[in-house]
Amino acid sequence: MAEIEIKSEIAGKVWLIEAEVGQSVEEEDAVIILESMKMEIPVVAPVSGKITEILVEKDEAVAEGQTVARMEG
Amino acid sequence: MGWKDHIQEHERRIAKARAMGSPKRLAERAEAGILNARQRIEALLDVGSFHESGLFAVSRRPGMEDKSPADGVVDGYGRIDGREVIVCAQDFTTLGSSSAINNSSKSMKMWRTAEKNGVPFVYLSECSGARIPDIMGAIGMGSVGEGFIFSRRRLVPWADAVLGMSFGGGTWVASVSDFVVMRKGAVMAVTSPRVNTVAISEQIDPEEMGGWRVQTEITGKADLAVDSDEEALQAIRDYLSYLPSNCEELPPMADVPTGSGDDANRILDLVPEERRRTYDVRKVISLIVDRDSVFPVKERFGRSLVTCFARIQGRTVGIIANNPMFKGGALDVDSCDKATSFIATCDSFNVPIIFLADVPGFLIGVEGEHRKVPGKIMNFMQALELATVPVLSVVMRKSYGQAYINMGGGRSNEMACWFTADISFVDPAVAASIVTGLDPKAEPERFAAAVEEYSLGCSPYDLAGQYLAHDVIDPRDTRQWLARMLEAHQPRRTGGIGAHYMQSWPFTY
Repeated sequence: MAEIEIKSEIAGKVWLIEAEVGQSVEEEDAVIILESMKMEIPVVAPVSGKITEILVEKDEAVAEGQTVARMEG
Repeated sequence: MGWKDHIQEHERRIAKARAMGSPKRLAERAEAGILNARQRIEALLDVGSFHESGLFAVSRRPGMEDKSPADGVVDGYGRIDGREVIVCAQDFTTLGSSSAINNSSKSMKMWRTAEKNGVPFVYLSECSGARIPDIMGAIGMGSVGEGFIFSRRRLVPWADAVLGMSFGGGTWVASVSDFVVMRKGAVMAVTSPRVNTVAISEQIDPEEMGGWRVQTEITGKADLAVDSDEEALQAIRDYLSYLPSNCEELPPMADVPTGSGDDANRILDLVPEERRRTYDVRKVISLIVDRDSVFPVKERFGRSLVTCFARIQGRTVGIIANNPMFKGGALDVDSCDKATSFIATCDSFNVPIIFLADVPGFLIGVEGEHRKVPGKIMNFMQALELATVPVLSVVMRKSYGQAYINMGGGRSNEMACWFTADISFVDPAVAASIVTGLDPKAEPERFAAAVEEYSLGCSPYDLAGQYLAHDVIDPRDTRQWLARMLEAHQPRRTGGIGAHYMQSWPFTY
């Protein structure tokens, strides 16, 4: 099992945390929802696996490329 | 020498050449579940259709004849789904299929013959690079320079499967192919990690240098990654089924599977009513096109844009669609490159292009600028304006700014808007912010009034009212609209064959 960083592909603000630590997710499941460009944009799991850390909280500003969560996959 | 001796010697030589390289290497790959060059050809082609050219070629280097059956590549003529193709398979068990004078002559001839005869060219890459000592020294290098031609015009479709370590020649071919599929575990690069260590003292992990994740997600050089040789070869068969054998033919028509388009109503379930919410456009595409006909290209690269082949009423189309699920559908450097290369392929092989737009604009920011995004936007425009295949566009939801134009706005043979379309230069809230300088939290009513003002005149009926869009449609009618427009906009004066201004468009930029 590799530890994988889940990174945001865009700059924005955290709108919703969709997944919990310990939750199993499939590839492309939404983990965090960001608000950017007037839209609610998901940050998705790059592979199937289990969420190990959520690193951001609601309303926090996020930069492009920032790690917002970690998972095992 | 009597007839019997000739026959015996001939059979001996055939068997020796067909045996390929060392039995040990052949056994190792059989154990690992990896096919050898001849097995790959069998798996790729229609049963019994392969006829080899150059079986008896060997290394030009005196003394190496016995060690170089077919000089390490297996080339010849075959059929896929009854259509003639030409295939070259690198035989890694013979001297690492290293590139040398005779095997390069073979592949060069196969390539040129495919173009001359108008048949697809398939290359199965697995190569240790150029053969030392053959190419060392002035005569070695000079002979390579003299004998090889590297430029390619898109006259026939080229499909490449990277099925092992692929350095040098195998990678050059992949770099100019229309379709590249990699087996996971294979590596594609200029040269091997070992040469990197020796030449520049850099220790490199081969996967990081050119493995499937790098090539499908970072560089976009590979269109698809699969788990086995067999899947890679099937992917090539599937890919070629969408395209004609050469640029002077139309793509083949296919049967229309039962149930195609029957679930169109579900589009209204998939696409959110709230404009802030996103969805996966790939699911919408599946509802519009013939059942199970989607063939994605570069699915893991530039994901905010989808490029895929599909069929509508049996006819191949190339779909370019924003995917709001990734980056809100905003176009970035990678998605611009992906659109440009897809337009070049579709245009070169007479495949109509369909744009499905739901795009807030181009992704702005420092990283994009450092990667030359304005140039990428203009490449995309250049490609779109050079295309002479039919171009249809459907504006689904928002389509703002220059991105509206890149996604076919004012650039298509026919354009329809869903009744949910929203067309303008930029999102009204952004316009309000920039023009008034108001803080929405401090002055919500004044800000709201400004947003309201900039939201006026953005409806599809405003666009269609000035005949800047040709129709406003119900999303559930998208398939019918596209099918009818594809029939209406077939360029009959040329029999559907385009002018192909993008035949020489580069492959990497």
